[in-house]
Amino acid sequence: MIRLLQCEYPTAIRIVDLCKPLNALSDVRDYNTVRVFVSLADRLLGSVDIANNGQPVSVSRMRDAIAFGLPGELLRGIESLSLNGQIQTSLASAVTKHMKTGNESPVILAADIPVSVVVATRDRPDDLRNCLQCLSLQVSPRRVEIVVVDNNPDSGLTPRVVAGFPDVILVNEPRQGLAYARNRGFGVASGDIAITTDDDVTMPPDWLEKLIVPFANSNVAAVTGNTLPLALDTVSQQLFEVYGGLGRGFKSMEANTHWFRSSRRHAVPTWTLGATANAAFRTEVFSHPQIGLMDEALGPGMPSGVGEDTYLFYKIIKAGYELIYVPDAYVWHKHRPDMPALRHQIYNYSKGHVAYHLTTLLRDHDLRALTRLIISLPRSQLGRIKQRLLGRSVYPISLIMLEILGTMVGSWALWRSRRRVRREGRSEPWVPLAKRPLPNVANGPRHAVEK
Amino acid sequence: MTEAIKVVDVELSRPLEDITALDGYQSLQALVRFHGTPIGYVTVPLLGDRCSAAALRRAISNEHGMDVIRHMLRHRLAAPLPRDGVDMDELVQTPSADYDGPLPSVTVAVCTRDRTDNLERCLNSLVQLDYPTLQLLVVDNAPSNDATEHLVRSSYPNVHYVREPRPGLDWARNRAITEASGEIIAYTDDDAVADPGWVTAIAGVFAEHPEVMALTGLVVPYELETGAQILFERYGGFGRGFVRSWYRLDGRNGKDRFHIGAGRFGTGANMAYRRCVFEQIGSFDPALDVGTLTNGGGDLEMFFRVLQEGHTLVYEPSAVIRHRHRRSYEELATQLTNHGIGLYSYFVRSAMTYPRMRLPIIRFGLWWFWWWNIRRLLISFVRPARMPRDLILAELFGLAKGLFRYRKARRAASEIEAAHARGEYNGVGGVAGKATPRSAP
Repeated sequence: MIRLLQCEYPTAIRIVDLCKPLNALSDVRDYNTVRVFVSLADRLLGSVDIANNGQPVSVSRMRDAIAFGLPGELLRGIESLSLNGQIQTSLASAVTKHMKTGNESPVILAADIPVSVVVATRDRPDDLRNCLQCLSLQVSPRRVEIVVVDNNPDSGLTPRVVAGFPDVILVNEPRQGLAYARNRGFGVASGDIAITTDDDVTMPPDWLEKLIVPFANSNVAAVTGNTLPLALDTVSQQLFEVYGGLGRGFKSMEANTHWFRSSRRHAVPTWTLGATANAAFRTEVFSHPQIGLMDEALGPGMPSGVGEDTYLFYKIIKAGYELIYVPDAYVWHKHRPDMPALRHQIYNYSKGHVAYHLTTLLRDHDLRALTRLIISLPRSQLGRIKQRLLGRSVYPISLIMLEILGTMVGSWALWRSRRRVRREGRSEPWVPLAKRPLPNVANGPRHAVEK
Repeated sequence: MTEAIKVVDVELSRPLEDITALDGYQSLQALVRFHGTPIGYVTVPLLGDRCSAAALRRAISNEHGMDVIRHMLRHRLAAPLPRDGVDMDELVQTPSADYDGPLPSVTVAVCTRDRTDNLERCLNSLVQLDYPTLQLLVVDNAPSNDATEHLVRSSYPNVHYVREPRPGLDWARNRAITEASGEIIAYTDDDAVADPGWVTAIAGVFAEHPEVMALTGLVVPYELETGAQILFERYGGFGRGFVRSWYRLDGRNGKDRFHIGAGRFGTGANMAYRRCVFEQIGSFDPALDVGTLTNGGGDLEMFFRVLQEGHTLVYEPSAVIRHRHRRSYEELATQLTNHGIGLYSYFVRSAMTYPRMRLPIIRFGLWWFWWWNIRRLLISFVRPARMPRDLILAELFGLAKGLFRYRKARRAASEIEAAHARGEYNGVGGVAGKATPRSAP
């Protein structure tokens, strides 16, 4: 049928050598289409069809058709663009590398941009002391403010540690939950950039500066770094690394709207971008109407377990900003040394993963969450059971079953978390430094005392 | 934070620079161009009051890297290539290769009615056009006062002013045809601003391709300051992409139907014709478009007729017009209603004129009704954030009216013609006001 139709539309055949000046094709009035075979001297590159509908084909029309049809073939050293998306991407960045730049601002972060480090802690005085020591040893040309948020002020364990570090600001957040605590810390922080980290990490002295380098680009709103295991002494610590650990590899990554929209069916894998144990944010985004602060119903300390960081990344990238993963800015994380703690953590991660996807579904109407929850997540769990049964993996089935259990109760956990947030109230909206009522150094601790 | 979007041009043959003083904008929409040819938009969300050249370059690379290469090659192909292909370094140095042969004389016609403020912005851009044989023409359509005449005569000595007393945009367009001295007539609206290379891009296509009788160009937003303006762009806007397209019916089998959806070719704010085509296919239908009962469709009907009569129409994105969309939500809703009326009036008119096309037009009208109106209405129930439902309904009401307006408008136009022949349309305002179509019997 198609062949018959083609007979009805006579096609002219012409050959064009691009090493010679182009000429209009004026002798094609009897044809509806012209198929132009393109060559560079004696090398044939390919063909393009021009629907001329009985009209002559001008030089500019031929240039259009060839440039749009055979771009890769015309470039030196490229075989065929249509075959490989990777080549397209590298070519595209090559051309932009050649784009001329005028009075471009230098790509270093100005030394007068202040930074705040927000450490949330809950009754781990020894870990916190180690963390604060590392933070005070950071080498940085800028003003670095350290804010510790005590998520259990009743115990009185944290103030004693912070008393040993006179420059550290201590604020209290009695409502349990890491998202509550971090939001509280962001509200007090005075820096243009807020770094989040945990009390159980150790960082090298150049960590802070390495982490914030990408903020020189105005479109970058979040940066994450790598998280490596501090010790692998026990079986549970090793299993946690087998589970996936907290590290995200040694290659830098960029996540932008392009990446966000790259698949219509599969959920965008924001959980591969890192975690707020080692992350930095441009504080301005917290007042962006589409972003705001962390979702209080997600994260450790809530029934939902984790996900507050992933969902914040999701919102930032969805709003059009970029997130950069910098593997060189690494911290050492102390994995839980005993089995019950590991089981607890893996259970929480599984609940939080579901809670995060349900949040993107409910709040952002992202239907891709459904394919993740219904198809790809169960498939990956079953796949890992199979790997274990075939002897290709050392990860115990009991832990996978625990993950499956966590997945199943995830939605209930989210519902309970949300009820708790409704009961205890949302975090106060983030206010830019200039609009805050009192200098926050005085305000922070005093406010806490009032509570 | 406001929702306003800053609109800028970025020319890739010049060095990229930081864009500053963006206070109050949520994002930046840059029209990326190479030697004036538009390649596409990039949208960069903003933090603070500036957008760095680096951020811009990354966005261009992510969104349009391949398109940039294609457009550079397009210019590069004007000269013979080396035997082993083009080197990337050489490619980015490519000079402009636009048409540089003899150019035809061009008349730019702006039809206006009681919008003197808008017209001033438009005329300021027209007098900047750099073109050797250019006639600028303002057709003042049944004005209610002489502010426009005063403005043109006092401030723009090089602009030719004529008054067309018969109310209706297509009367004004037809008047432009009789007044024009150029071989090519380019039409734009009084709420539009012409790009400096607009006429040159139009004339180049007509000069190089004698078979081209009509041309439409790219319409980009002049500003995106209000929610209504952003919604209009999201609703479809006036832009029709960044690829030069050629339209001509296949004369052999007469089975082509694509030209019924004439909105795809462009809009009356940016269209041009070889003047001689009107002698062959007739002039604009005065029963259509703004100022009549049908409120639109005159441009679409002409695109359709040009193609239906076997001529060639080209969409040339290098011919750029910036259109200032309606700023308020109410104006936007009215505009969409009018768009619906205009579109279906055009369907009715074309079905009456070309009986052979009746069935295809009905079929297309039904399909469009489902695809554009009903389907999107259903989507708006699932995803209300994407498009306000009342705007979709506004257009839906418009098309319902459009089905019945054309015949009435046709009678009104005949009466206006008769009154004009009796010499009743001469003075300023009064008579024209009395004869506005809404009050016509």
